[in-house]
Parts: sequence; structure tokens; C-alpha cells
Amino acid sequence: MNLENILKKEKIKVGDWIEVRKEKEIFKGILMPKTKLSHPSTLILKLENGYNIGIEVDEKTQIKLLRRREIGIKKEEIKLKKEEGKPTVSILGCGGTVASKVEYVTGAVYPAFTPTDLIQSFPRLEKIANIESEVLFNLFSEDLNVEHWKIIAKACVKNIKKNVDGIVLMHGTDTMHFTSAALSFMLQNLPIPIVLVGAQRSSDRGSSDNEMNLISAVLTAAKSEIAEVTVCMHGSINDDYCFVHQGTKVRKMHTSRRDAFKSINVLPYAKVWFIEEKIEYLRENFKKRDKQRKVKVDLKMNPRVGLIWIHPNINPKFIESLSKFYDGIVIAGTGLGHVPTNPFKDKLAKSIVPALKSLIDSGIPVVIAPQTIFGRINLNVYTSGRILKEIGVIGDYCDWLPEVALVKLMWVLGHTKNMKKIKEMMLTNIAGEISERSEVE
Amino acid sequence: MKYEELGLNVGLEIHVQLNTKHKLFCKCLTTQKEKEPISVIVRKLHPVYSELGELDRAAQFEYLRNRTFYYQVFKNESCLVELDEEPPHEINPEALESALQIALLFNCKIPDEIHVMRKTVIDGSNTSGFQRTMIVGMNGWFEYKNKKIPIKTICLEEDAAAIVKEENGKVFYRLNRLGIPLIEISTGILKNFSPKEVEEIAFNIWLICKSTNKIKEELGSVRQDINVSIEKGVRVEIKGVQRLGLISKVIENEIERQLKLIKEGKKVEEETRAAKEDGTTCFTRPLPGAARMYPETDIPPIKIESSYLRKLKKALPQPLTKKLKILKTNYNLSDDLANQLILSKYLPIFEKITKTYKIEPKIVANFFVNTLKDLKRRNELNEENLKEEHFLKLFEMFTKEEIVKEAFPPIISKISFNPEKNLEEIVDELNLRILKKEEIEKIVKQTIEENKELPLNKLIGIVISKVRGRADPKLVAELVKKFKEA
Repeated sequence: MNLENILKKEKIKVGDWIEVRKEKEIFKGILMPKTKLSHPSTLILKLENGYNIGIEVDEKTQIKLLRRREIGIKKEEIKLKKEEGKPTVSILGCGGTVASKVEYVTGAVYPAFTPTDLIQSFPRLEKIANIESEVLFNLFSEDLNVEHWKIIAKACVKNIKKNVDGIVLMHGTDTMHFTSAALSFMLQNLPIPIVLVGAQRSSDRGSSDNEMNLISAVLTAAKSEIAEVTVCMHGSINDDYCFVHQGTKVRKMHTSRRDAFKSINVLPYAKVWFIEEKIEYLRENFKKRDKQRKVKVDLKMNPRVGLIWIHPNINPKFIESLSKFYDGIVIAGTGLGHVPTNPFKDKLAKSIVPALKSLIDSGIPVVIAPQTIFGRINLNVYTSGRILKEIGVIGDYCDWLPEVALVKLMWVLGHTKNMKKIKEMMLTNIAGEISERSEVE
Repeated sequence: MKYEELGLNVGLEIHVQLNTKHKLFCKCLTTQKEKEPISVIVRKLHPVYSELGELDRAAQFEYLRNRTFYYQVFKNESCLVELDEEPPHEINPEALESALQIALLFNCKIPDEIHVMRKTVIDGSNTSGFQRTMIVGMNGWFEYKNKKIPIKTICLEEDAAAIVKEENGKVFYRLNRLGIPLIEISTGILKNFSPKEVEEIAFNIWLICKSTNKIKEELGSVRQDINVSIEKGVRVEIKGVQRLGLISKVIENEIERQLKLIKEGKKVEEETRAAKEDGTTCFTRPLPGAARMYPETDIPPIKIESSYLRKLKKALPQPLTKKLKILKTNYNLSDDLANQLILSKYLPIFEKITKTYKIEPKIVANFFVNTLKDLKRRNELNEENLKEEHFLKLFEMFTKEEIVKEAFPPIISKISFNPEKNLEEIVDELNLRILKKEEIEKIVKQTIEENKELPLNKLIGIVISKVRGRADPKLVAELVKKFKEA
């Protein structure tokens, strides 16, 4: 009999106190849920001392129910009072466990999201603002797409109409910069701050960056002047300040560090000092908070846009085939914005220019962005660039991020199919995605 | 004191660092050699929302609000993993194997699957706010004075960061200790043992760990926590006893402290106390509740195959506790000499020499334990130049009666500074070849002739100084006596 059947027969459920007899040993503890990585015939037991061990169950193993146990955390609802004169911030959940509760008895980690949950986790929030909260969906950020961006944008509009003073979006960190870029194009002319926030360390640990990031984000939403879409995350690997990054100029630049998010080609808008609760502005070129301003909502997007990373030996046939899947292409070019063009007719080299040209000729716009991440495209310095310019590749002089160029092309293609119009819209700075000057740091 | 009447119960938790090259969950070195930090990172910790009672949580908020943690980063000895900036890597297989060996030496049951846990720690000694720990063995035992000493659990865990200083809510930690593989051995309740016996039990536990040859032995690499209770008192946990030799003193002091409080009619509180260098203790905090533990989801469970365990069991080293018994009984060494020799790095050479040559073990043991130590203390030894062959040759010459044991110190001292020479050369240079009996007799007769009026003991002294290191003093005394009386 397999483990599952034995447990069924003995009417044993996860969380029950059981006794396991195997060979000469007797183990007592709480039956734990199976994890995917554990062996199928292995029973996981939480011993009295808190440790889990795995016991392989064979024919001779005896399992007995000792007593049933209720698991789960009891809700302690506390009444939150709205305080006049204190700003109101809406916290919207888009996935990413910025806050969670741990039940040490079983080791289960539950997401925490009601305003009560949030304030019990982070009591300082209550002193900063009246908190409202709502879960939009609970997904890993790598699973989000254009449809989710629309849901988020609509929820933001709803909250703006409710006259809140700021919006905080809790979001998984992996694609947070795609979402911030998308919202920047979809929601222009904002009256209040929209701040995306996440955590690089899981929220079950006392060292998680969730507290500092969330409190800084709520501070930014409640009190800053920055009526833009921003990302608020750790500024360094110390727990001292967060940066408030411009939504179209930010990128996740590290797999795991808490200061993974960096402003690219610009300074962050501001530094938020966590302990002192002080906002220090680093730039002035942003829209100031003004509740009278009317938000311009434009959610039209064409999701059929691809982002291609140029590399040695890239196959021209692969480039040609892209027309089957996409209505627009962003290529992350090498250096100043280059692809294999083979101007010297080398026998070993292969140009992808004919492939790109056929895409453009068939009405598929090709946009270029720098795979160096930092810096600006310039198609006039080398032959390769000049060739791309000739065939109509879009992006000369742009210092946009590949991901932002992708999101922008989706948004532009949601509005027009006319190549001339596309080019014109792409090259117009809409949400700060193209900076005119490259500042000296 | 009559410990049986007091109802003394003791529980031991012995912590031993493993001497692996790398840390438990990353490739940082475990050397702790670096003196100057290359960087200092500033962090805060916050309480985690859990089923903890309101009061407990409020206390945690208060405690952590007033504390900022400063972590010193050391080159090659700390990386992003210790900084809680990168998930743990795969478990160090060398550490896991050593831990399993130790568990097997204590006759433990090894879990079929090992699950790494996160144990919540909020004193800042772990950057993550928890310590990674796992049970590698349970329900074990070992023998002491023909009794079975119960071993409850053996855990493999990350050592915590070492505290440097604490001032005005600023707590400084050294990150190079964080993540060094640490073995925690918890005994069952030790009933009716005297404090001195408990100390010996702890020493035996340490010896069994040392049998694997994979534990760190420098100061601070072994730490003990001791639970002490007497019938009339309560359970008190004493943390951080730095030396095995302090254990009996700490227990005795704790019994006295509790008895004194009882006599004064005061209440003895259940609490955690910290051990000081002199064996006394001071209050640190009330006894904590059950450990708050939950699974470490970044590390998959580790399946222990039975074929692997069988292989480990076969290659298990002989426990040093057994060896110690042999040293005392078969080799006839005194307790003191045996206890020192068992800890000596020269133990394998001692065994080889006593096996190779027909020689009294006490002479060899004494050489390795005392002679070398004396020479070192007097700066007359360059120990790193000494090789096994030097010792073998020395004792070969001794068994062949080419040198006397009084010649050991000068010979071994000189060869240690002149390793390019061979031992025979050194013996000749020092003129320390043993004198033939006739030669000694000649010197004896001549000395008696020249100093007719001197008494026997003075005459022996003069001869000994003439033949120092070239003759057995006992033989000299005999000969002087013989010829003087003749």
C-alpha cells in the first residue's frame, strides 16, 4: 500500500499528531504536507523539537493517529479608524508576497493582505497613512502580460476616482520594470503617485527588505510630490534608504541583491530615508502632485511584439520567421546599435540585413535598443548602423531600455499600423523613456 | 556534595565546528584568518507576523526597534550568501558526510530524508533572521563507565556570526564565522552524574567527534550549552561555555547559586544565563519558548540512500574514546599522559613507533607529550621541520642502544633547525653516541682517583656531567657505587 492510501485508511490528515513505528524506532510528531521535491514514499514529520525529518514508509512501517489538530492562524480583526487629515493610500496586490504570516507550528507561510494584516505586520504604516487594500490577482510576475497590465491600470483609475492620495502596487520583482513602463504609457498626466514595490527576500524572514520597501513606497505615495509611475526599492545593500525610480528608466540588474533595481541613464527621482521618514529629491523634472489634474487613460495595446537579443551566429532565417508571430520587433543590438551586416563580404560572416529588410517591407516595424543597457543608440558612427538606418530601423539617438522599447512598441501598435505614424510616435518622448541629454553622473 | 541527594539533572548541548574547506552553503573559506573587514553593512531586523501572541510580538518590536546591526565583511570569508543577498548554494557534501559520520559514531538513526529548517533568531547573529539547521541523527547513545549515555539529536547547522561589540543599540558582528558548518550534539537527561563526570562525558563526546579528523580544534571552535536543574530548584540554561574544562565548575556554581537562593527563601527563576571565563554565570533573558522553526524552501530535501550509509558505516574511524581506553589499559599509560596523548597530533606516530620497535610506550608517550612541549616552550624547536622519519630514526637508535633517552632533547632540537642533515650526522656532531660500558668504567675510575675525598653522590654528579647524554644515569650511579666500594 502506498503512503497516500495508508494515510487515507487511517484517516490521517496534514496537521494531525501521529506516531510512526519503523524498525525499532518510534517517531512522534505532526504530519506535514508533501513537498514536490520530497520522495513520494517519504512521510514528512515535524518532531516535537520543531525539526522536520523524512521517513521512508515501507510495508512494515506502522502509522497511527494520536490526535487531531487544527491548523491555520486565527484572525484577529482590529478596527481601523480613518483619521482626518492623514493621507489615504491604496495598496493593490498584484502578486509577490511583500507581506506574509508564518505559522511556526507547521511552517506554513500565508500571504497577508487585508489592511489589518498589513498594519499588524508593519505597525508604522498606520502612522503614515490611512490604508486601503485590495488584491487584484496573486501571480508570479513572470506570468503577467498585457491583459494583467490593463487590470492594474483600470484599478488605478478606479482608485484615483476615489480621491486617494497615492497608490502602491505590490508586485513580484522579476518583471516589475515591464509593468512600470506599461503603466507609464497607459496612464499619463497622473494627479497622484503610483508606486510599484516588491521584495527581494522572502517575507517570512526578519531580514526581509519588504518592510523598508513597503514603508518607503507608502511614504512616497502618501507624501511625495512625484505624480508619476515609479518603482520604490532598496538603494543599497544596507537598510538605510530606498530609491524612487522613474518607471520607464528602471531595470532589475541583479538576480538576488536587494538593491537589484537601478535607474538607467538617469538619476532616480528621490531617496527615501527609511528610519527618518524623509524624502530627498534628486531630480526636479517630474509632474508635481495635483489632484485637480485629469488622468489620461489609454489602454490600447498590441501584444504581438517580440524582443530579440542579437548574438554571434544569429540565424537570418529565424529573423525572417518572426513575421509569423509578431506585428513588431525590438532588437537589442550590440554596441551603439549594431547587428551582423557583413559590409566586407566576408565568407564566414552572415548578414541579417535582408531578413530585417523583408520584415520592414512587409509592414513590421523594427526598433533598436542597446543590449549594453547603459547608453544611447547611434546609427551614424559605423557602417553597420548606417545600413540599419537606411533600411528603416527605428531608434537612432534613443537611450531607451530594450524592455521599455518593447512595451512602447506594443502601445504604439495598439494605436496605428501606419509605418510613418509608428515611427513618429516611437521617436516622440511620451513618458520620459527617451532623455534628450546624457547627464554626467 | 552529594549529587544524588540533590537530584541533579544535566543536559548538554555540545557545538563543534567542522574543519571543512568551505562553508555549509557557499564556497567561502572557513579560515577566519582575516583581521580587517573590507566593508561594513548596516541592517535592521523586524518581527515576522506569526501566530505569536500580541505581547511577545510587542516585545520583539521594542527589542528590534532599538537595535541596528553592523556586519563586518571579510575577504574570501564572506560573500553575498552571508549578507543575505543571495540564496544558499547546494549543501557542502564534505560537511554533510562528516556530520553523518559523527551521527553514526554515536549510533544514531539517520533520517531517510534530511530537511533543512529555518530557526528564527532575532539577536542579529544571522543576517537572514534565521539559522539554517537540520537533524542528521537521532536516538543515539555511547558508552561511558559501562552506562549508555543517550544522545537525543545531532544537528548540522550554520554557525552564527560572532559578536564583536555592542554599544548604544549598535551591535557589531563578524560575518566570517557565519555559515561555518557546526555540529550540535544534544544529550538526553544525564541523571545522577557528578559535575566532574558530566565534564568527562562532554570530553568523550568531543573525542568521538574528533575521531573523524574533521573538526576544528582552535579556541572558540567548541562551545557548550548546559541545562542544569536540581530537585528543589528549576531548570536553567547556561549558554556559551567556552572550554570543556569549565563544565564542572559551571555546574557546581549553578547548584550553589540555586541552593543559596532557596536558603534565602528567594524564588529561583527559569532563565537563560551566560557563562563567563571564570565559570560563574550572569543573567541574560528568561528561558525562551519552543524554537520557532519552519522549512528552508531554498534547499531541496536530501535523500540519504541506504547504500551510501552502508558505505559510510564500513569506513567509520575507530572512536578515540576506544583508543583512549587502550592507551590506559594496554599501553599502561597514566590517565594524565593518555589524556594528553589522545589529543596530540603525534598520536599516529606514537602508534607506529610502539608497533615497530620493542620499546616501553611510556618513554615514547613522554617524549611526544612532554619533551617536545618543553623544547617548544624554550624556543629550542622548529616543529614544522620535523618529519616522521626523524622520530622513527630516533627511536630506532634508542632501541639499538646507540643513544640514551637523555639525548633526545638536544638531538631533536638540532635536527629541527638543520632538516637537510640526517639524524646520525646530528648525533655525531653533538657527540651523543652512547658510551660503551668500558669507557664509562674508565671515566668512573679516573674520577674516583682524582677526587678521593669526595662522597658518593658528589662523585656520581661529576661523572654524570662528564657523560651527559651519552650514558644512562642509572648505570653511572651503579658503576660509581661499585668502584667506590671496591
